Amino acid sequence: MSAAIATQMIGADLLKLRKRRGTLAWSLLLVLVPLLLFFIVSAAQHSSNPAEHGPAGGINGYQDAVRILAVIFGPLAAILIGTDAGAGDAAAGVFRDLVVTGRSRLALFATRVPAAIALTWLVVLAGYAVATIGVYSLADGAPTPDAAAMLNGLGFTLLSTAVICAVAVGFSSLTASKPAALVVLIGWQLIASPILTDISSLGSSRQLVLREAIDHFSPVSFGGGRGPGGQSVTLSSTTALLVMAGWLAVFLTLGAWRTRTMDA
Amino acid sequence: MTASAMQERPEPGAAAIETQGLTKRFGERTAIDSVDLFVPRGCAFGFLGPNGAGKTTLIRTLLGLTTASSGTMNLLGRPVPARRVEALRRVGAIVEEPRFHMHLSGRENLRVVAAARGPEISSRIAPALARVGLTARGDDRVAKYSMGMRQRLGVARCLLADPQLLILDEPTNGLDPGGIQEFREMIRAMVEEEGRTVFISSHLLAEVEKTCDAAAIVDRGKVITQGPVAELAGGAAPSELILELDDPDRGLALLEHEQVVAVRRSDEGLRVVLAARDGDYGAASARLNAALVTAGIGVMRLEPVRHTLEQRFLEITTRLETADEEVAA
Repeated sequence: MSAAIATQMIGADLLKLRKRRGTLAWSLLLVLVPLLLFFIVSAAQHSSNPAEHGPAGGINGYQDAVRILAVIFGPLAAILIGTDAGAGDAAAGVFRDLVVTGRSRLALFATRVPAAIALTWLVVLAGYAVATIGVYSLADGAPTPDAAAMLNGLGFTLLSTAVICAVAVGFSSLTASKPAALVVLIGWQLIASPILTDISSLGSSRQLVLREAIDHFSPVSFGGGRGPGGQSVTLSSTTALLVMAGWLAVFLTLGAWRTRTMDA
Repeated sequence: MTASAMQERPEPGAAAIETQGLTKRFGERTAIDSVDLFVPRGCAFGFLGPNGAGKTTLIRTLLGLTTASSGTMNLLGRPVPARRVEALRRVGAIVEEPRFHMHLSGRENLRVVAAARGPEISSRIAPALARVGLTARGDDRVAKYSMGMRQRLGVARCLLADPQLLILDEPTNGLDPGGIQEFREMIRAMVEEEGRTVFISSHLLAEVEKTCDAAAIVDRGKVITQGPVAELAGGAAPSELILELDDPDRGLALLEHEQVVAVRRSDEGLRVVLAARDGDYGAASARLNAALVTAGIGVMRLEPVRHTLEQRFLEITTRLETADEEVAA
């Protein structure tokens, strides 16, 4: 497949995703509303009792904003968009019409991933812009993160959402059902992953939890007894990278396999 | 084109679609059973069969949407699946009902398919919309389209490939009579003016008879017969006449003494089976007419009985059912 065709197909996939108003609106809401609420509530608390509550912005605000965006709500938006990209053609019944063009099924699958990541990044960039404004405008004299910290936070947010989005594309292509993929992935991300990492008897096998591998690269501490990298399970950078690569390889391969072999 | 010519199988490449021994099984069930099909280029070809006969399965197999269990197939002279990509480059298809991303406009839906077909295809979007009369509504969301508009948008999507072969599965489903008429005219224009081959699967016999040049009748996964529509239907039957007389009772009495094999009343008038020397049924009809007129009986209508594809289809499928019952017994 030539670069021109690939670019055109990614553009077409992006068109399908960004025109799905419901998914886009929910993704933006998921990313923006918690951040806005966080800054509004923190600013209100600080103004009513500055002695007890620090400023909403500054370094503390930055750490909380990154946590909200990169660890909780950004991945949820990535799952929403990723599952739509993976199962959208099958759900609309147009997958067969794309197969009939003669284009390889593998190519049809492959172009979904960058399109979904591109839209996810647009959404989280909007969130990061809000976070940046909040961190600096609501610092109230407190120290603020430098440019390197802000870039680290951005890089981590983009990494976290891209990996989860790609896994979501693969998983929903495998199930060919957006609702099923949504329930499983959100359940895994929000409920199963934290529970598994808290079960100490699982030992080093907890390193295989994707969320832990991603959190290893977080520039902010998660506190609450978690390790220095921000994660509750200690793992090396190499292991974290391998775990992420493994998740991506497994789910992208399964998604591609299902797209290649399913009756259209 | 005669039925025998079709069975002789011309040079490879002369066929738009050609299958040999094509079989598709789903577990124990055989959906298409050793189908030999020959669809010549440059005609409208009807693929007729009752619901569940295997029409859609055959189309899906031809297009690579599902794999064949055995047999060979060629599209536009290219073997599939071996050269599927090349073959499908000039094939447009609507399988079952045309489906779209409902949240996108008609034009955007075409953009999605054009992107998969190749960079140069986008330039065909506007002409394709114009060809099916959807230019004015091209920017509306497909969710707002009527069934007829979706069918037309489906054809526009096929036209993006500038297809030599269009495969349309039950294309008139859900269309009103006006829409059916428009659709029929569009298909005829594609065949006669643009030289395309149109393969139409349908259970609507009259529609196939009006639209198609040739047809195959399929039942229970098997192609029972194929050939030009006129030959399949049996054409006119010169040995049988419909007579409408001003005095049917006298006519009936008179005809019993003429050279007829049988005569009976029917809804349309008297139905007569002629006896003729040397098979000259024209002369026999003329003699019969003269006898009636000489006897002072007014002849309002004298017309050879025309068999329809529907009669032929029912004959074939009834015969199959009877054979099955005999086997079961």
